[in-house]
Amino acid sequence: MLSFLYARQSGLDDPVRLRRAESTRRVLSLELNHNRDVDRIHGNGINTLDIEVIDGRYMLSGGSDGVIVIYDLENNSKKPQYTCKAICTVGRSSRHVHKFSVETVQWYPHDTGMFVSSSFDKTMKVWDTETLKPAEEFQFDGNVYCHHMSPVARKHSLVAVGTKDPKVQLCDLKSGSRIHILQGHRGEILSVRWSPRYDHILATASTDSRVHIWDVRRASGSLFTLDQHNGDKSKTSSEAVNTAHNGRVNGLCFTADGLHLLTTGTDDRMRLWNSATGENTLVNYGKVVNESRKGLKFTVSRGCSPEFVFVPCGSSVAVYGLHSGELITMLRGHYNNVDCCEFHPDYQELYSGGKDCNILAWVPVLRQPDIEDEETNSKRVKQSETFF
Amino acid sequence: MASMHIVLEDTHAVWCSADIRSSLQYLVTLFSRKLFNDSLPPVVLKHQLYSLHNDKTSVDKQVVRSDCNKCSTWDSVQSHFIIITLMHSEALVFSFPRQNELRETGELLMFQLGFDSEAFALVFAEDYRAKVLQGEAGRGTLGTVEKFLTKLIPSCSDLSFNKEKMLKEFLFTDSEITQLVKSGVLTVRDAGSWWLSIPNSGKFIKYFIKGRKAVLGMVKKSKYGEILQTELEGRRTTSQVKFQMKYHIHDIIGAELVECIQTTSGTLLRYVDGNVN
Repeated sequence: MLSFLYARQSGLDDPVRLRRAESTRRVLSLELNHNRDVDRIHGNGINTLDIEVIDGRYMLSGGSDGVIVIYDLENNSKKPQYTCKAICTVGRSSRHVHKFSVETVQWYPHDTGMFVSSSFDKTMKVWDTETLKPAEEFQFDGNVYCHHMSPVARKHSLVAVGTKDPKVQLCDLKSGSRIHILQGHRGEILSVRWSPRYDHILATASTDSRVHIWDVRRASGSLFTLDQHNGDKSKTSSEAVNTAHNGRVNGLCFTADGLHLLTTGTDDRMRLWNSATGENTLVNYGKVVNESRKGLKFTVSRGCSPEFVFVPCGSSVAVYGLHSGELITMLRGHYNNVDCCEFHPDYQELYSGGKDCNILAWVPVLRQPDIEDEETNSKRVKQSETFF
Repeated sequence: MASMHIVLEDTHAVWCSADIRSSLQYLVTLFSRKLFNDSLPPVVLKHQLYSLHNDKTSVDKQVVRSDCNKCSTWDSVQSHFIIITLMHSEALVFSFPRQNELRETGELLMFQLGFDSEAFALVFAEDYRAKVLQGEAGRGTLGTVEKFLTKLIPSCSDLSFNKEKMLKEFLFTDSEITQLVKSGVLTVRDAGSWWLSIPNSGKFIKYFIKGRKAVLGMVKKSKYGEILQTELEGRRTTSQVKFQMKYHIHDIIGAELVECIQTTSGTLLRYVDGNVN
């Protein structure tokens, strides 16, 4: 650490190097901390978490009981012991609450005045955070599994919605229209994700084992489909040609720079793809246990080198090295299945929620003071005493 | 600076390559030849290598062929040369083979066995050739099979072939293809396409699956569903288990059907719930 600081000070190293090295060290030391807690509001499992991008202060959570809660993650109490309080809730008593389980929540990418939630009651609601009333409601024909708004889009405010219908629907928040449809899948859409690099690239994953990459400006079909064998048709049986997984594809996550895409499937595999060409990088993560019948929400770290993937695996969260495929550690602490996890890039903390109605905060371990420091401190105190 | 990186990467690559080969040779010794009356070449499964090496990705890279043109990662294309600078500003330049050596030079053949889409069998090419020709000796199909093997082994590393390829690239006729299927070198996959296969491998697959189930059953029935690896190796095998215990243990560890936990008394194997087997 001191060598990094000295190198930065003297100009030998880029300032980014110190930050990256420290972030990586912190992520490698994630563990449960008895000083950090999150308020327990949900009465049923937690399906989704989202931390807002602007300040990283507020976190949304959606539960299986249809309840949506907003937490304040910042510690203003000047004490190390801190519980992240729930500031406001859309509870069962509210008139506008979702009737069935909330599957996805997402803050509006540009400010916290608005958030969007979608649920198994076949609706997607756009909420005003101030009044906690829906400003807009979109009705669908089937259960809504997931939705996503592009985090970088300035020119459009399209929300991509994945439902039981094989057609991916794009809802426009500016006009309220839903005429844009992307056709190509043959099964339910379990996950949709916009690219964090380009505002017109969208990835969708479905139960037909395929992942399509779309350019929403194009009138014709998808740009390409991800093929796990990279076009080598000889490797597999003829039905499984051109599929991303040998089972349902239920999780999608772009890396922070948007250059790679991770997919998870019910064949217990996780694959890393080059998002520009659709090539399978063939990184082998081993068996990533996946029994989820709906979408799986996992996340990638940001600002570290090498990057890490946090995947919910049963009742623990597995941490893998992104490009090496190595299992770094399993974070155990939940009492039941973990459904979602979210990484806080500024503090390198991980929040995970699951069926046991708990949201656990995984905090990097603070560096212990060296024994030398304690001795010199006590010596200095003694010296100053004798001086007086 | 860049060349230093390449040096480290490549020496590591050469080590790995040698390691994989020696691991394969070790696993080959665990295969029971006598069981099949010496008619089968020694078969090793790709995931058995995962139990011997930690890095699955590098094992895959050395066994699975990757097409040079499509590759975008720098380390499998560019790290071709090692530049070793000596004391008096001399430099030795060595050219080392790429990491995907084993399958591309035709030393190793990979087969899709059929009972699991992820289970691939590996056989050394010389062993395969010797056994197939031994099995074909005295039969009318010998000539066609020999022709197929000479075409196949040096260059091709596909797992299956479709009709076009057989007719145009390899210049086989329909009757010759039928002869190849009869001899067991090709197995039907679909209308007009065939898997590459090992003749007489049906018995192997049957014994293998039975043995795997029996060994997993042993782990499951142990107290708490876990057993020390050394203890499992020492157990008496039932009549269901035809292969050596170690062969099956490498298989179940590599396929992640059991969880490996390091303890002070050695490696503990714990049965993983949710296995279809």
